[in-house]
Amino acid sequence: MNENVLQMKNITKKFGTFTANDNISISLRKGEVLTLLGENGAGKSTLMNVLCGLYKATGGSIFIKGEKVKISSPKDSTGYGIGMVHQHFMLVEALTVLENIILGKTEDRALFIDRKGTKEKIEELSAKYGLGIDPDRKINQLSVGEQQRVEILKALWRNAEILILDEPTAVLTDEEATGLFEIIEKLTGDGKSVIFISHKMKEVLNISDRIAVLRAGKLVSEFKRGEADGSTLADLMVGRHMVESEYSKMDIDDGVVFSARNISYNKESKHSGLNNVSIDVRKGEILGIAGVDGNGQSELAQLATGLLDPDEGEIFLKGEKVTTFSAKRFIDSGVSHVPEYRNKMGLIGDMSVTSNLILKSEEDPKFAKYGGWMTDAKSARGYAEEQKERFDIRCSSVDQDTGELSGGNQQKVILARELSLTPDLLVAAHPIRGLDVGAAQFIHDQMISARERGCAILLISTDLSEVLLMADRIAVMYEGSIMGIYDGQKPPTSEISQAMAGKVQEPSA
Amino acid sequence: MGIRFKNTILKVSISAISILAAILIGAIIIASVGENVFVAYGFLLRGAFGNARAIGETIVKATPLIFTALAAVFAYRCGMFNLGAEGQFIMGAIAASWISATLLPFGGWLNTLLSMIIGALAGGVWGAIPGLLKAYRGLNEMIVSILLNYVATLFMAFLYSGPLMEKNIPQTVAIFDDVKLTRLIEGSRVHTGIFVAIGVMIVASYFLFKTAKGYQLRVVGLNPTAANVNGLAVKKMMVSAFVVSGMIAGLGGAVELLGSSYRLMAGFGLGFGFDGVAIALIGQLHPIGAGLVAYLFAVLRTGANTMQIATGITTSVVDIVQAVIIIFAVAATAIIALPGVKAIVNRKWKGAEQ
Repeated sequence: MNENVLQMKNITKKFGTFTANDNISISLRKGEVLTLLGENGAGKSTLMNVLCGLYKATGGSIFIKGEKVKISSPKDSTGYGIGMVHQHFMLVEALTVLENIILGKTEDRALFIDRKGTKEKIEELSAKYGLGIDPDRKINQLSVGEQQRVEILKALWRNAEILILDEPTAVLTDEEATGLFEIIEKLTGDGKSVIFISHKMKEVLNISDRIAVLRAGKLVSEFKRGEADGSTLADLMVGRHMVESEYSKMDIDDGVVFSARNISYNKESKHSGLNNVSIDVRKGEILGIAGVDGNGQSELAQLATGLLDPDEGEIFLKGEKVTTFSAKRFIDSGVSHVPEYRNKMGLIGDMSVTSNLILKSEEDPKFAKYGGWMTDAKSARGYAEEQKERFDIRCSSVDQDTGELSGGNQQKVILARELSLTPDLLVAAHPIRGLDVGAAQFIHDQMISARERGCAILLISTDLSEVLLMADRIAVMYEGSIMGIYDGQKPPTSEISQAMAGKVQEPSA
Repeated sequence: MGIRFKNTILKVSISAISILAAILIGAIIIASVGENVFVAYGFLLRGAFGNARAIGETIVKATPLIFTALAAVFAYRCGMFNLGAEGQFIMGAIAASWISATLLPFGGWLNTLLSMIIGALAGGVWGAIPGLLKAYRGLNEMIVSILLNYVATLFMAFLYSGPLMEKNIPQTVAIFDDVKLTRLIEGSRVHTGIFVAIGVMIVASYFLFKTAKGYQLRVVGLNPTAANVNGLAVKKMMVSAFVVSGMIAGLGGAVELLGSSYRLMAGFGLGFGFDGVAIALIGQLHPIGAGLVAYLFAVLRTGANTMQIATGITTSVVDIVQAVIIIFAVAATAIIALPGVKAIVNRKWKGAEQ
């Protein structure tokens, strides 16, 4: 089977002066799995968004079954048999699987929904590919893995011939991932083609028929199955022989800055609750929280910064029991926060770099005289210029709105603001998500020097390699609970990944 | 050229172009009914600026609009739509007339001052209701504030046709002469209220852009989630902004009563709230911009009357012009925010700099 179902030729996509895709050509054959491999920010998602009609390419053309097509909306791409399963699911929680699947399908102009017929067809598809989905269940009763299968089902129901899976395993446990790979095999066996996006080497090598490596917006090379091994691919992905930056690990006990004792929050929920969590973050150490996304990490970050009140349990800051839970209370006790969603939670996109840098300090006499009644624009600006230099924030001027900056520079603005408060505790959630290597390394270096200064850091990341790199101690979260706490100096990686899947090894005794 | 300067120019030009385009459309309408455009617009300008009386009348019309526009700006900057400025304006006027017409403990300017303060407080209370319901109960502030307009209007009707009615005429008794705001020019109704309006405009502008609290208010307005994460008391800020917005409108009502209408009657305050919102949007949500646009609206209105008398062209033409300005200004602001357009604008500017 050598028929090309899809060809993307010389695709270029620019955002302003930034080139996200630079002259990329790929092709996809019937019944194969093509993997797009690359780091965050390499241009994988942009390329797929072009294919799905979410972005308009600056240049290049797309051919479906040899015919040139124009895809300018997601509807067009669905029409050409392209279905995408996004990293973040596009499902309505309160509706059933059936309702979600037929949602927005406008070709069906009937006034009434043919529930029975649709249900039968969905059940048939589900059985055919071993998806195991009951169309009458509500989305909020389903596990993350099941929700993902609903997304696949949705695409199949719309007659997708080409399925794009955007980092599908990022939210799955190892077991669920294995199940997904079986489904992918059935799909390709049936003549469907899959584009698989990932940066996890092992699974890529396992599942792909061909691998296309992207780096900094360019297609660097392409391999057939078995042509390249993991380390070759990793080197290509990063673009240099991977010299992993190494940080020395600490094992000091200089007192506990943040302590959570038997904290529970919304504990019935496996994916957005905490169940009896106890952790300590000590002065001058990085406690890393590892785990698959959606196992209560967001809630932990919010509890540690005063945004949520625990249902049960106690929190101590610098030995003092916390009784009022508000962000202000925690900020006043020296807690800084690099939040999970930098645009939504961290920055005011329509305000300048300067204005964002002085947030939290706007009433500081440095920036406002007479008890805040006369702001000092000049000193704020001078301060912003200083921080711009120190944190290497790349912007056309400190008057530029932060919404116009790249993700890395936005994160630097947040980090500059948070670290300039010389916090005693820094809660950093996914600090390098979506950043390029350089920016990520810069952020990490800054965090390490904060640690050296004696700052306690709670690092939450779904990227295990980041946790392994940074953390002095590693705690693993699974379904709202801490599965175990491991030494960061010689981390038992296999035990940690088992724990991430919810399996705790019994101590061999 | 600094980015901030560029942004200011961009915003001013959006409004200026919208206004010019709308005036052009007005001209087309006038021409299409067979009248001479230049003559018609000539009378319009003469009506607004022709003599001291005309200039004064324009200022009298502008004064309440400045207040309601500032009220809209203030709430909007904190991320909320205050569509209830009309009700707050009326409540302010009711409170002021109650103080000025029934209670007269001091007499003279002290009473005038007290009336204005009480008027502002009444407006603030009326603004607190939607603010509190929005912040603590999640109700839509637009709907609550609109509905409260009816309550205020009907309450006022109850007063002027009931307890406070002047003999058999459905209006309240006029306030005493010595509480009235001083008139500035002989033969014109223009009164010192305009100075109060300009004063509020300057204070609001200073507060929003030059104080830490004003900065916090804008942060809450632009991104309430981030404001909360960064330790700001978002709900308190929302309520306070709505109260202050109501106070500005209430003060406007008091000033209108004390300086211009002297009594409550049917139609008092009608439409000022919505005009204020429109003016605020055209004024690019800046207090000074809002003040200038309020004045422009007043020019169009006083001028329209003269134009109608002199040429027979109905004042609806001016209503159309006003409506078109609003549509253009809002549309242009939306268009500028589109990423594609933004890129073009930025590129053009870069080109001009080289």
